Amino acid sequence: MNVYDLIFYLFAAITILSAFFVVTTRNIVYSAYYLLFTFFGVAGIYVLLGADFIAMVQLIVYVGGILILLLFGVMLTNKITNVDIKSGTIHTVPATIGVALFAGIILASMWNTNWKNVNSDMQVASTQHLGFLLIHQYALVFELLGILLLIALIGAASMARK
Amino acid sequence: MIYDFLFKITDSNIIASIIQSLLPLFIFILPFALFAVWLERKVSAHMQDRLGPMRVGYHGALQTIADILKLVQKEDIIPNEADKPLFNIAPVLVFIGSYAVFAAIPFSGAFIGSNIDLGIIFIIAASGFVVAGILMAGWASNNKYSLLGAMRSAAQIISYEIPTVLVVLTIIMITGTTNLQTLSEMQTGHFWNWMILGGPKFGIAKFIFIPFMIINFIIIYISTLAEVNRTPFDIPEAESELVSGYHTEYSGMKFAMFFLAEYANMFAVSAIVTALFFGGYQSPVGYVGNLFGIHWLIPIEQFFWFTAKGIFFVFVQMWLRWTLPRLRVDQLMTACWKYLIPIAFVNLIIIGLITVL
Amino acid sequence: MKEYFNNAWSALYTIFVGMKITFKHLFVPSVTIQYPDVKLQLPERERNRLYVNMDDCIGCDQCARACPVDCITIETVKGIPGEDLGKTSNGKKKALWVTKFDIDFAKCCYCQLCVFPCPTECIYMTDVYEFSEFERSNLIYDFVTLTPQEREDKKNNYAKFEAEKAAEKAAAKPAPATKPIENQETPKP
Repeated sequence: MNVYDLIFYLFAAITILSAFFVVTTRNIVYSAYYLLFTFFGVAGIYVLLGADFIAMVQLIVYVGGILILLLFGVMLTNKITNVDIKSGTIHTVPATIGVALFAGIILASMWNTNWKNVNSDMQVASTQHLGFLLIHQYALVFELLGILLLIALIGAASMARK
Repeated sequence: MIYDFLFKITDSNIIASIIQSLLPLFIFILPFALFAVWLERKVSAHMQDRLGPMRVGYHGALQTIADILKLVQKEDIIPNEADKPLFNIAPVLVFIGSYAVFAAIPFSGAFIGSNIDLGIIFIIAASGFVVAGILMAGWASNNKYSLLGAMRSAAQIISYEIPTVLVVLTIIMITGTTNLQTLSEMQTGHFWNWMILGGPKFGIAKFIFIPFMIINFIIIYISTLAEVNRTPFDIPEAESELVSGYHTEYSGMKFAMFFLAEYANMFAVSAIVTALFFGGYQSPVGYVGNLFGIHWLIPIEQFFWFTAKGIFFVFVQMWLRWTLPRLRVDQLMTACWKYLIPIAFVNLIIIGLITVL
Repeated sequence: MKEYFNNAWSALYTIFVGMKITFKHLFVPSVTIQYPDVKLQLPERERNRLYVNMDDCIGCDQCARACPVDCITIETVKGIPGEDLGKTSNGKKKALWVTKFDIDFAKCCYCQLCVFPCPTECIYMTDVYEFSEFERSNLIYDFVTLTPQEREDKKNNYAKFEAEKAAEKAAAKPAPATKPIENQETPKP
């Protein structure tokens, strides 16, 4: 158990606990803020995996962008603290089946993947390699994603003008 | 290098990294905040033909220390209707956000908190926490002025992040690195190697770059000014309409933390501008240490040049603050979306073409 | 398009114009006066705290009557005939002992109306304006130069004198009642 392990467990605990609170807390603003810590924990785990660029993008996009917009929406909604968050149990059987299926898929992929053993404190500069892959091997997907986002942007703008 | 030294005396990499991570706070941010608050008051006073604080120390030099002593003694008031946990966390979150930025700032060749490859991107990412903290403070105060201030602040910061990032992208395109230390090392030598004057590579491209780099510099300076909520972009804390925005309800040390974070942010954005355009810690004219062959002097000189450039840009921020009136919200958004972002985009494309050709 | 660039340019240009102006003001000598150390030269006819020169005061009570806020209280006692009360600086002979001359500066409105009626010009405005106090009662200034003992003496003397006079009168009662009135009336014309 070295320091890197300790840090990993710390981030993992942050991620899982805050994700748990996101779902269970009754206050919608609290749940948005727990989401902040979930994103942070995930970013930390990315860093430990050597994926520094992904971690930074995680922070920029999710913490700096999506979470802020989420909070905006939540806070601008009228009387947000008095909203009854519906947490009754409905559709028990389909939900159980769905969750079991999802858990099964994840567990199956976890067991069937051939995990590589990479030394966790090894520093890899992933940015350059990532950029190369995006422009060469995955250029089409990358461009398509860009066009998709552009369409979403134009759609939002035209809806806002009405 | 400081890390190696700390490792040598403490013989433990954990203690060494903890000490190193605390160094910027104690040797830099706190003294800088003390100095900057004093400078702000003096600059504002002299620009309005006043004198400013004069009674504590020589020309009021110890005024900020007296203010801090006062703030420490103050009662910590939490409003009854406030959301207590969030209200208490918010200043910490804001301070963490602005302090994390200092991890990637190269103070000198021998001292950078963490020499990560993604320095500049890390800085942009870490400042996201500041927005979250500001929103938290505004909402938790349960006060309409605080909430409005926080909303405006968040809207402003995420809008102005776009031109900042676009300008940073042009620099990344030219230099091919996001590591601030490498970026500073590239601009070594004399001031004509600085990015504002076209970068270290000599050639025709260098001279074509100059006007675009100056436009880039102006864009990033304006947008970072907006990101730290300084006048003329201080609508989040507009005194005349919102009391003082998101920190209206804060008092005592929590207020001091917001204040400290604001001044730390001011230096951080100045440091980014310095590192990107003005050679980082490089001296404009060469080093005394090289002249006399005293090599241990060079990092200290570099530290001096870096802080001097940073403080100069902080001074320009103050200068602008006491020159310009506050923008209206729609003017603010117009300036960002209709002027800065298109110009930054055009700049990005042109510089991209020049680097390819 | 042209307007767009014009806007951008004029915004930038005007910022620099403004910055030039503020930069010039950085070096303009400041107009601040470091108040407790340096003080403004007060105008010639300034109105601040009153002062009463008791050597000249004849106790005529005109200032108290002129005062719109009644902040001056004067009590006087007549001198006994043999006593020398001294002279004012313009040669008038004093006839009254002033046993109380209080000015309450908490009430005073600094209107200077008390200064003009004074026949001997003994009440006037000074240039002292820093006399704040923690207790309101400290703002009542006593200008009388006599000691409390002396004031009591003067009062007692006069009372004694009156009593003696009254006693004299009582002794001379059998005389016709109209006579003293005639006596008093005669000096008038």
